[in-house]
Amino acid sequence: MRKHSKHLDFEINLIPCIDLLSVCICFLLLTAVWLNVGSMNVKQAVGGQSVAETEKKPVLWVLMGTDGELNLNIQDSIRVPKNLSKLKLTGLDGKSNTSELQKVLEQIMTVEPALKTALIQPQAQSAYEDIIDLMDAFRKKGLVDLGVAPL
Amino acid sequence: MIKTHSILQQTALQSALQAESYLKPRAGKWKRALAADLLLTALIDAFSILVIFLLMSFSSTGDLLFIGKDQELPKAAQVDLLERNPVVKIEAGKMYLEDKEVTSDSIVAAFLEMRKQFSDSHPGQEYPGVVTIQADRRLKYEALNQVVLAASHAGFSDVRFAVLLK
Repeated sequence: MRKHSKHLDFEINLIPCIDLLSVCICFLLLTAVWLNVGSMNVKQAVGGQSVAETEKKPVLWVLMGTDGELNLNIQDSIRVPKNLSKLKLTGLDGKSNTSELQKVLEQIMTVEPALKTALIQPQAQSAYEDIIDLMDAFRKKGLVDLGVAPL
Repeated sequence: MIKTHSILQQTALQSALQAESYLKPRAGKWKRALAADLLLTALIDAFSILVIFLLMSFSSTGDLLFIGKDQELPKAAQVDLLERNPVVKIEAGKMYLEDKEVTSDSIVAAFLEMRKQFSDSHPGQEYPGVVTIQADRRLKYEALNQVVLAASHAGFSDVRFAVLLK
């Protein structure tokens, strides 16, 4: 009986576990990608169909001005009131006022939930970062079909 | 004198610490105790946490873009997964299509050549027409415009701007 109980009380050999975990850590550290890179998708397909075939959908045109000024213009929408269909947002410290833009977008989306398309028209001197910030703000509010107009 | 030239030299106690070891010699015991008290469980716990953390941050897509030290990508929160597409990199005033330098005049031809190669190697398949643009966040749109225009001229209808996740 005594011999039997002695056999039950065994110790797990932890060295192989440590070896395995060390190899795992080395592999994962070597293959780790520390920068999370994503993509902002933009559709450039314009003019693929004739005007008659194209379904009229509400579109938000955004003209980027100097010093972060934004001119918003909603087309092909009957729901959006006139005071919201054409707006001018002044910039903040030379950049677009995205918080103000988001408030305006929220108002627009409540009256026109079908608005999914936004077309950005930057200036030659518009910073790439500002364009991406605008796209990010639009996507936050559900405008997922984005486009950038060439100069 | 007696101490230096006698057997007392070997047995005389020099310090309290030595005296302790002479009186209670347990050097062998100490070594054994050290080996037994090494807590491997704590080490395995730490290793397991490291492995879990690294597995959670593991990216199966790998590094798709090579970002130079002077290049800062813009940041965005609402991003899509970056896929493997032809990459146009704009760096230090130069344009590279898949690491091959191109100019604003030759980029359309390079895009068309890429399409041709795809149709030769994949007959019957439609070309996806997607291009990824990698550029510094401070770049002006006039530089980007060349790529956007060239892409649309060559039939690349989808443009993907590479961004860092906020």
